[in-house]
Amino acid sequence: MIDAQQRFDPEAALISAAQQGDKQAFHRLYENYLGMVYGVCLRLMVDRALAEDATQEVFIQLWHKLSNFRGDSKFSTWLHSVAANVAISQLRKQRSWLSRVFSSEEVDISDVAAPEVEDHQEDKLAMWIARLPERTRIVFVLHAIDGYRHEEIAQMTNMAVGSSKAQFHRAKQMIKEWMGHE
Amino acid sequence: MNKQSFDQQLQQQIDALPKEVRPERDLWQAIERGIDTPVAPKKRPYGIAAAIALFGLVCTLVVVQQRDDAQQSLLAQLSSQHKQQVDSLLVKYAEQPALTDNWQAQLQQLDDAASAIKKALKEDPDNMALLKMLTQVHQQQIDLIEKVHAPQWQQI
Repeated sequence: MIDAQQRFDPEAALISAAQQGDKQAFHRLYENYLGMVYGVCLRLMVDRALAEDATQEVFIQLWHKLSNFRGDSKFSTWLHSVAANVAISQLRKQRSWLSRVFSSEEVDISDVAAPEVEDHQEDKLAMWIARLPERTRIVFVLHAIDGYRHEEIAQMTNMAVGSSKAQFHRAKQMIKEWMGHE
Repeated sequence: MNKQSFDQQLQQQIDALPKEVRPERDLWQAIERGIDTPVAPKKRPYGIAAAIALFGLVCTLVVVQQRDDAQQSLLAQLSSQHKQQVDSLLVKYAEQPALTDNWQAQLQQLDDAASAIKKALKEDPDNMALLKMLTQVHQQQIDLIEKVHAPQWQQI
């Protein structure tokens, strides 16, 4: 009995209930992981409105895909990768839309610098990350902050492992330069 | 700034970044609307389309009763159409986590089975039992891809 109580995992119970369609349990999961999911999306996408949309999409997909989660990895790890994949996918769609609207085949949209972050963002590193070109930023965030390996990033972003490493190096060089100028 | 001090400084700043950020507006209402919207069943259209297409080709094979060359051509057509269906499903589910880890190995086993049947069909093109087996293996491959990527959504 004590053993069973000791082994009781409240998060596993929440996940199990949500897998069976318990919306209240799912809302608790949402509350527990909203900060992580939105944080992932915001770091990758920079734009708050886009990050909010992506966060909503992550949780809608989570509801539908929750039965896929078998507990082979930590739930937070699994959800983190779902969030990162959704954010990358949304950025890709946005890039495709921008390409169509502006018909700028000669311009690599992914290499256009991110917009300036808002004034109240105090953290300098966050500001520098936001300034990085999109692909460079994605690689830097996933590798340096979220701890993904270059092989994993390559798979998530459809780029070669070498390109991921090169983008990471580029990010560090740019940040180093900005750091020196500050 | 030397490399070590830069790397150290960068790492310190990375460690200081907030791991969690809360959005300013409430996102739950839109999420709740999203999860209340039923997901259109995805399996049937593909399954039915595949079954109809395969049945049509099998009937064609039965009715036409052509000699070896024609049979080989239809076999190639059957394989090509199946490959297109499998490819489009794989593209569709490319970013969706699969239910099991070994589904690709299972898919490969079915592929090996299909190759063996096709080899036998080259020797015996009029063998309808072999042709039926091939269509069944193709159908199993489609079912496998759909099952591991679209599990029980409708039950939630």
